[in-house]
Amino acid sequence: MARILLVEDNEMNRDMLSRRLERKGYEVELAVDGRQGVDKAKTLAYDLVLMDMSLPEIDGWEATRELRSDPATKSLPIIALTAHAMSGDREKALEAGCDDYDTKPIELNRLLGKMEALLQRAGGAGAVGGGA
Amino acid sequence: MTPRSTSRRSAQAHRQAALLRLTTGIVSAHTEDDIYHAMVDGLHDEALGYSFLGAFILEAATGDRVLRASAGWPDVPENWRVHKGEGISERAVEDGTLHYTPDVTRESRYVASRVRGSEVDIPLRIDGETIGVLVVESDDRDAFNDQDFEILSAAADQSAIAIARVRLLEAERRRADEHKALLDTLADLSSELELSRVLQAVIDRAVTQLGVTGGEVAIYDEEMEELVVVASRSVGKDSTGTRLKLDEGAMGAVARTLEPLIIPSYHEWMGRSEKYSDVTVHSVMAAPLLIGRRLVGVIATVHSDPKRVFIEEDLRLLNMFAPQAAIAIENARLYTAAQRQRQYFESLVQNNPVAIVSLGLGHEIVSCNPAFERLFGYSSEEVVGRQLDDLISTADTRSEAEAYTREALDHAVHVIGRRRRKDGAFVDVEILGVPVVVDGEQLGLMGLYHDITELLEARREAEAANSAKSQFLANMSHELRTPLNAIIGYSEMLQEEVEDLGQTELVPDLGKIRTAGRHLLALINDVLDLSKIEAGKMELFLEEFEVQVMVDEVATTVRPLIDKNSNHLEVHCPPDVGEMRGDLTKVRQMLLNLLSNASKFTSAGRINLEVARERNGGDESLVFRVRDTGIGMTPEQQQRVFEAFSQAEASTARKFGGTGLGLAISKRFCEMMGGGIELESEPGKGSTFTIRLPTTAIAAAEPQT
Repeated sequence: MARILLVEDNEMNRDMLSRRLERKGYEVELAVDGRQGVDKAKTLAYDLVLMDMSLPEIDGWEATRELRSDPATKSLPIIALTAHAMSGDREKALEAGCDDYDTKPIELNRLLGKMEALLQRAGGAGAVGGGA
Repeated sequence: MTPRSTSRRSAQAHRQAALLRLTTGIVSAHTEDDIYHAMVDGLHDEALGYSFLGAFILEAATGDRVLRASAGWPDVPENWRVHKGEGISERAVEDGTLHYTPDVTRESRYVASRVRGSEVDIPLRIDGETIGVLVVESDDRDAFNDQDFEILSAAADQSAIAIARVRLLEAERRRADEHKALLDTLADLSSELELSRVLQAVIDRAVTQLGVTGGEVAIYDEEMEELVVVASRSVGKDSTGTRLKLDEGAMGAVARTLEPLIIPSYHEWMGRSEKYSDVTVHSVMAAPLLIGRRLVGVIATVHSDPKRVFIEEDLRLLNMFAPQAAIAIENARLYTAAQRQRQYFESLVQNNPVAIVSLGLGHEIVSCNPAFERLFGYSSEEVVGRQLDDLISTADTRSEAEAYTREALDHAVHVIGRRRRKDGAFVDVEILGVPVVVDGEQLGLMGLYHDITELLEARREAEAANSAKSQFLANMSHELRTPLNAIIGYSEMLQEEVEDLGQTELVPDLGKIRTAGRHLLALINDVLDLSKIEAGKMELFLEEFEVQVMVDEVATTVRPLIDKNSNHLEVHCPPDVGEMRGDLTKVRQMLLNLLSNASKFTSAGRINLEVARERNGGDESLVFRVRDTGIGMTPEQQQRVFEAFSQAEASTARKFGGTGLGLAISKRFCEMMGGGIELESEPGKGSTFTIRLPTTAIAAAEPQT
């Protein structure tokens, strides 16, 4: 079972996405701001991070850069969740070191596709084929 | 030879000599007085007994004889007057013949004088009329004989002829002078008041010279088609101001036919005007006043004496005055028209809200209007004669302003600039400099200054307001999106959960919430994009990307929409199309927009996406062409289709969905990347949108940020 860290400050988005991912078989841990997200990610307890970009404390781009600069989390798969496709968030996210991005509101199947692709590339187990 | 005969012969020689002197004197005479002096001086000869001589001229008004020249009378008063009926010489005047008085002292009419001898009086006659008398006196009684009478008669005849000639010449000269004076008046005619004065002079002279009772001149009023009498003389009343219709009266008839007219008996004439029923007019003669064939007035003369009737010869004389009057009227008209036009333009300049200054060839100010005085704070008196650029340009703008001034002497210059007022304050102005050329002659230039300080201020404010609006929209969109995410997300999640629970009856309603939410989101995103573009905050993220990969991705994304309306999608993308440099997200968004539009407005048809690399000179571009077989657009719809919120019709938006912003955004994206979008369409046949983008978009193509 893949373990996902969802970094999202908006409570409803957090609740909604975590519940939907859990229903699909993922184990979801939550962080409410960029600082907490980085700290939790560094515990190395996760296979993939879903990172909102506009976060309090430190924003998603800064958090990503911090994780990328740490050898331990250098290759941790990170998917940026941006508010709006056209605002340049995508490019900025990729520049900061995210592996992929998706836009909110989440289209679940598309996001799952991206997550599975990254998890498989990282050699870890996805929600479906994970575990033993 | 007897002494007597010697004396007689000698006397004859003296007489011949006297006549010769007189003739010589007369020949060189210029005036009448020259002739009188030549007469008396020439004949004066003591040896002949021609001791006291006087040339008297008959004064027409009194019948008195007035002495004009004398010889041998040193103390005779100048202009000595002998009253009618008095003096011995009266007889010669009375019957027009030579009279000899051998002993003046025995005459009853003798006026006591120094002369006590004999006297000869010879009349001076022109055309059978006596105009004066030559008086020759001797101290001796009976001093004159037949030979003297013969010589003196010849002298008087010669003198009279000479006087007639000089009088004729003088009359001619006076007439010429009068004519010249009249022409001079015509030349500098400068008002309507003066026109009536000149026309009055014309009619006065015509009446005098034609020897008629009276006359009138009328001007033709083209607008009213009426004649107005402006000069009148002795027609029985002051007729000035009288208006006559065409065909009314003699002048009206002439105005209609443009032919001269003689009416022998006016009061029996059918065409007579009631306006002249109260005056005694017997016969009338009228002639048109023409400039070319254009009527400018009518001149008429009248006889009130029933015995006198006009004849063709009178018409010829009248026609001598017509051109003078016609030219006077025409000149006055031209002058008035020119004056009016001048006043019109003058008031145009004076009342113009635009500051206007006119400069001479040396850039010195010739004049300025009140708006110029107001704009720059200088009075007209302060600026006239000074260099414009000394007054209103600053050290910064000086050379630029002088260059414009030089340029404007040659051709129109239109610029925006900043100038200085008298109080030192700056003023933003739109400047127009134009050369002033009259009849090919360069007179200088004219500068027009339109104060645009407020305009620029208003523009700055509008830009600030617009920017604030865009910022507001951007913030608003962001704030709207957060709760919207929750609505969409929860409705999707619920949909999944109820499906899992098998409660399928709730699925369609949840689907509607989700669809509405997505539409609202699309609207918000488009508005955000547009406001960013308009605020100049939309950025380009240029990267190299594989065109085919992007096209395949777009085709996959749009597939469900294509299928929904039973359309068929064909994609033609050559395998070697390669890479391009551009904003991938925006190119993708544009293609998605065109394809989803095509599928929206086409049902059970073909939609074709064609990608090609085109070379035009040194520029390479990628062409994306989306063709459909849908409903198409009228030319009017095509014109508005790239405007924001302008789906061809309001009803279209309801029927087909969409935000109506997609094409407006696509067009701006294309322009940002240095490309463009084109449309060909025909109602009922379908539409073709063509996007053309340079293969290497450059950041410089961005709008202002």
